[in-house]
Amino acid sequence: MGGQTRKKLMAIMALSAMIGLLMFPILVSIPALAAGGGAPAAGGPPPDVLAEQEGDAVEEGQKVEMGRDVYYKTEGIVSGLPAPKTEDDLRSYPRYNFESRVLLWFANQQHLYYGSFVLAVPIFCMIIEFVGIMSKDKAMSKKYDQLAYDFIKISITAYSITAILGGILIFTFLTLYPAFFGYLSSIFRPVMHIYALLFVAESGTIYIYYYGWDKMKEGLLKWIHLSMSVVLNVIGTTLMMLANSWIGFMMSPAGVDEQGRYLGNIWHVLHTALWNPLNVHRLLGNMAFGGGVVAAYAAYRFLSAKNDEERAHYDWMGYVAMAIGVMFLIPLPFAGYWLMREVYAYRQQMGITLMGGLLAWLFIIQATMIGILFLSSNYYLWQALGRMRGAEKYQRYIKYLVFILVVGFLVFITPHTIVMTPTELKAMGGQQHPVLGAYGVMSAKNGGINVIITTTVLSFIWYMRGNKVPIVPWAKFGDIFMGCFFGLAYLNIIWLAIYGYYIPANVRVGLSVPQVVTTLSCLFFMTALNLTMLKGAKMSGPIEWGKISVRSQYALIMLATAFTWMMGLMGYIRSSVRLFWHVNEIMRDNSPWAYTHTTGFAANMISFNVLFFWFTILFVFWLGTLGVKKVPVEAPAPVPGRVPQPAVGH
Amino acid sequence: MDVTNPNFWYALMGLSVVLIVVIWKKNQALLNNTYVAVTLSLLFAIAYFHLVNHYLMDNQGLDYWYLFRK
Repeated sequence: MGGQTRKKLMAIMALSAMIGLLMFPILVSIPALAAGGGAPAAGGPPPDVLAEQEGDAVEEGQKVEMGRDVYYKTEGIVSGLPAPKTEDDLRSYPRYNFESRVLLWFANQQHLYYGSFVLAVPIFCMIIEFVGIMSKDKAMSKKYDQLAYDFIKISITAYSITAILGGILIFTFLTLYPAFFGYLSSIFRPVMHIYALLFVAESGTIYIYYYGWDKMKEGLLKWIHLSMSVVLNVIGTTLMMLANSWIGFMMSPAGVDEQGRYLGNIWHVLHTALWNPLNVHRLLGNMAFGGGVVAAYAAYRFLSAKNDEERAHYDWMGYVAMAIGVMFLIPLPFAGYWLMREVYAYRQQMGITLMGGLLAWLFIIQATMIGILFLSSNYYLWQALGRMRGAEKYQRYIKYLVFILVVGFLVFITPHTIVMTPTELKAMGGQQHPVLGAYGVMSAKNGGINVIITTTVLSFIWYMRGNKVPIVPWAKFGDIFMGCFFGLAYLNIIWLAIYGYYIPANVRVGLSVPQVVTTLSCLFFMTALNLTMLKGAKMSGPIEWGKISVRSQYALIMLATAFTWMMGLMGYIRSSVRLFWHVNEIMRDNSPWAYTHTTGFAANMISFNVLFFWFTILFVFWLGTLGVKKVPVEAPAPVPGRVPQPAVGH
Repeated sequence: MDVTNPNFWYALMGLSVVLIVVIWKKNQALLNNTYVAVTLSLLFAIAYFHLVNHYLMDNQGLDYWYLFRK
């Protein structure tokens, strides 16, 4: 057997073992799920024992207690104990001399930041490695491969930190909220161990994927390596969805009766009203966040680069990461809109608390952060035009884009009402400003954000055309068509925003959908048209990677920081909407911290979490640079009689 | 001419597409004429966005033309 064949066989066996490892948790959980996937409340017998007892009870003529699902409204056999009724004592809430909620907030947030990062980066690697394999240009193929490797290299250290933070989080739950955690883990018992075993499978896969990079770089082995990234991402996404089911259950419980007793259907517990919107929103959010963090890493390496070659590589890396991040940022507000819509559909009061009541001001801050994200992205793209010859033609139009973005941003962040002193209230003649007050409603805000996103799409299209001149015979018509389509799209978005003021609320609420589709039409159709026009286009000069302003790199760091801050903010909002419930309307939070913090305290706490994350991730970045320094400065003298070997590996 | 009827906008969009194809076949230079290109592009885009507005409201059980029918 040749060495190559042996390597292939070993790779196939490794992949099979990995898939086996992936399937193992599912296989071991089949008996439990087949038995109804029962999850008794803390301390109760397992479901199969319960079912047996119930069977005995039926045989003995005793009545089996039935319960009604609080969400699905179906009947089910009560298979668990009620949610514990906690009291403000050391049994339910043991504590240090510190606010337990803040400790848990910190542990949770840090775990989430790192978890999001290590779930997103392998998806990037998969995409980039695939692009590299498909690329016909050998040099580009190698570049993409190196880029994917650089990405995974950063996430490896972050992966270990994620696991450590996960452990800290569990210990925090167990020591500070034992009653609540006991109840939650009893409900999710059949999937809790699947989660843990999937984590083992994920760890095995990521380490083989990373350490096998050089060994599996050609032919079939490369495809097997790529397919490992698919396996890795399937596990990662499943892990995320399982974790989302816990928070979905806490916000919109299902599969239990009004006392919180489990009714024997694990799918109902997982598939709550908010599970799927949370899955989509979190997946997109993780990708955008991951893109931002990698872009910040590239910016850091660009700023500390010692030569032009390094600068060019990290400029390119920053651009690719930013492009991926923004690609997922664009649909993110629409996924958020879907989530909010489902929140309103589940409990209208919850929606009002979020967007029109106690937490409404946090949404104004969120709007500001979203605006900053898009402004930073656009600013980076405009700066990036500078590295292309021929892109000067767009420079003079940028001021108009700035104007449109700023107007859209100002409308988007205008609050409905503001906190005022009685004198200010009197001077303004009411709670709403006579002119600006009109912009503080959803009709205007939907218009504002769609204008911002459409402008970002336009900036991207300009960037794509920066150093290219279309030579298709219908180029002029194509340009005019694109201009008219964008112009009409802006008019349609603004028209729908204004139209909303003249029609009843129940009709107005539907206008956001055509607004969104108008924006998406620009994204998909105009990008496709642009790419068609650019086929065989004349190049006015190459992209001079590395020749970009330093300011652009600070924009990337700004982008990443804004992502981090916004994630912290939205996590807080989503969690706070439960108010004084651990599990909404099922298990009450009776700790001394069952109140909503002030906006100022929350903002400080979020900032602390962001700072802590960035200090630690800078450490991860620094670790990433250590391996690079191992390259010897001078090549050793050749040993006589030995043929020099080309440098391999990364 | 009932602008609240989607067929009107379909007809407008169809007309713009037919004109683009015919001019493309007969005289490509004419398609690149600024006035012709602007007219055809506007016809298409106006019709397209009205259809988007109409059908996406209709799918939600809402009437996009609410104010115009009053």
